[in-house]
Amino acid sequence: MADKTKVIVIHAKGILSNSKPDPQRLQAIIIKGLTLLTSQEKDKEAVEKIFSPSDRVGIKINTIAGARLTTSPELALALTTVLNRGGIPERNMVIWDRTNRELKEAGYPLLTSRDKLKIFGTDTSGAGYESEPYSFRNIGSLFSTILTNFVTASISLAVLKDHGLAGLTAGMKNYFGAIHNPNKYHDNHCNPYLAELCASPPIKSKHRLTILDALLIQYHKGPSFHPRWATQYESLIFGLDPVATDTVGWQIIEKLRAEKGLPSLKEEGRPPLYLETATSLGLGESNLSRIQIIEEEV
Amino acid sequence: MKRREFIKASSYFCIYLSGGGSISYPFSFSPSKSTNLSRVEARYYEKLPDREIRCLLCPRYCHLGDKERGYCGVRENEGGTYYTLVYGKVCALNVDPIEKKPFFHFYPGTQAFSLATVGCNVNCKFCQNWQISQVRPEQVEAFDLPPEAVGLAAKNNNCLSIAYTYTEPVVFFEYMVDSALASKNYGIKNVVVTGGHINLKPLEELIKVVDAIKVDLKSFSESFYKEYVRGELKPVLEAIKLIHQRKKWLEIVYLVIPTLNDQELMIRQLCRWLLKETGPDVPLHFSRFHPMYLLKNLPPTPISTLEKLHSIAKEEGLRYVYIGNVPGHKAESTYCPFCGQMIIERVGYQIGRMELRQGRCRFCHSTIPGIWS
Repeated sequence: MADKTKVIVIHAKGILSNSKPDPQRLQAIIIKGLTLLTSQEKDKEAVEKIFSPSDRVGIKINTIAGARLTTSPELALALTTVLNRGGIPERNMVIWDRTNRELKEAGYPLLTSRDKLKIFGTDTSGAGYESEPYSFRNIGSLFSTILTNFVTASISLAVLKDHGLAGLTAGMKNYFGAIHNPNKYHDNHCNPYLAELCASPPIKSKHRLTILDALLIQYHKGPSFHPRWATQYESLIFGLDPVATDTVGWQIIEKLRAEKGLPSLKEEGRPPLYLETATSLGLGESNLSRIQIIEEEV
Repeated sequence: MKRREFIKASSYFCIYLSGGGSISYPFSFSPSKSTNLSRVEARYYEKLPDREIRCLLCPRYCHLGDKERGYCGVRENEGGTYYTLVYGKVCALNVDPIEKKPFFHFYPGTQAFSLATVGCNVNCKFCQNWQISQVRPEQVEAFDLPPEAVGLAAKNNNCLSIAYTYTEPVVFFEYMVDSALASKNYGIKNVVVTGGHINLKPLEELIKVVDAIKVDLKSFSESFYKEYVRGELKPVLEAIKLIHQRKKWLEIVYLVIPTLNDQELMIRQLCRWLLKETGPDVPLHFSRFHPMYLLKNLPPTPISTLEKLHSIAKEEGLRYVYIGNVPGHKAESTYCPFCGQMIIERVGYQIGRMELRQGRCRFCHSTIPGIWS
């Protein structure tokens, strides 16, 4: 068991009320998830195990689908509270995504104060994209300067969803929002592009933690919101291994699809093969038999 | 690059829209800075269940869920309706010699009112304009220039034609077609500079409203298209055939990239295909590559390579073969294929001697194909 990569799934039945999560319970879940993930007793120790106090932490969220299927603002803010208690100064944290418009539409306040928590998009004045494309394997993109300049450690705080092209959108695909041209990488179910993007130095060197927002899961017809195929799963998934975390997320989607009588992603011809590619690039584990899944209820 | 730097580095009649502030343009109109994306419904797509759509404009056939964008980055599915986001949103605007496109057999020595919106439906690793072609509309500033204003602006700036160029005009298809139609009121011609990655039905519509099309043929190899263009060769060849069949003036440009698409055998096969499908009179321009974008590890094309490919094309029977991006090269000029005399002298984008009389060689009176007056 010891050599298996660990993924933590924390369930919190009843955490959603009128589609909004309870912030206090969110903090408890995050603490539980991080302590289990790092095998530490206390939240501060767990945070210290992943980050250094001098880190500038970027929390990459996913707001593309709008307010009804975004990374929950309550979750993102609860995470900053836990990180802050763990020794990361507020001023050294930024919650970010592609555009301020999407952030606002998803219910995030825009914050750019120097000494406080920051929330803004790459299109904020003073941020933007790098001016020269970074070339890595099949990737040639301008990276957000939030990732390349501000951030020293990155968290992918993603929404777990079915994706019509990629099969799955979760922690890895969330980083499509860190580049200027994700539309160029949807061919062939995003494979190998998605794996190669996450293996590119600007991301690989900074990614530390994946947390999947599985409070509401779009298990079919994603990535946009379709209430008919969305379910309140009321869970969060934690992993240090980005591939293993997404692999576990994929299995949850498959389970929900099977329960609803839908064909599997493989049967629909769109399994997220980029996960296997990611494993071949040394990014993490996509073989479920080598992943230790720890499930708890909070 | 800041706008002022670009203007300084460019020709006098030039706008490259990447900065704010005010500046006096030598144009007789003042485009206003755009503050939003357009929401004009696309013309070639089909609606699918569950707010999904399939784009029918180009051979990619992007199948998109709600809120997703096509490969081009400038068309978006919003609630099951597909919109172009760049209709009338011009990001680059210049008055260029028509030779710069290049069109060598289409009103030589005239000016083309040249414009682009952002976006492209392929992703060439050697793109010369990637800063505007490989981005999304939110990432580059644009100005509002509605279709009905384009023709008048061209006329007021002494342009004989409007050129849809710089990026990939296919991705702003609706704007291009509407601008071309509106410009007819001013007697303005319309030319398209395209990679030819377009489906035949929209191409048929485009052919009806424009006067000439230049196709950038990137290679004669599917594997090259797949790896370096992120597109397909076959639909481009189909487009070339259709343009020729419809008797629309056509020129072909082939950017010669050292070691990647300069194999002599392949060029010979290409020339034979062109001869068979479009005849000997469609001009073929071999253009010199300079390291750009994601292909900076290669040197500029040796001039000797261009000259070799030029001679192969002539051997295969193509009558009008040119070498481009080598200012001052003798193969920039047009020679009568029947008597061998120089009939249009070019140095860079400048026209020197013109020895054509009503579309005929002044020396031997042979007809020279093209649109001359």
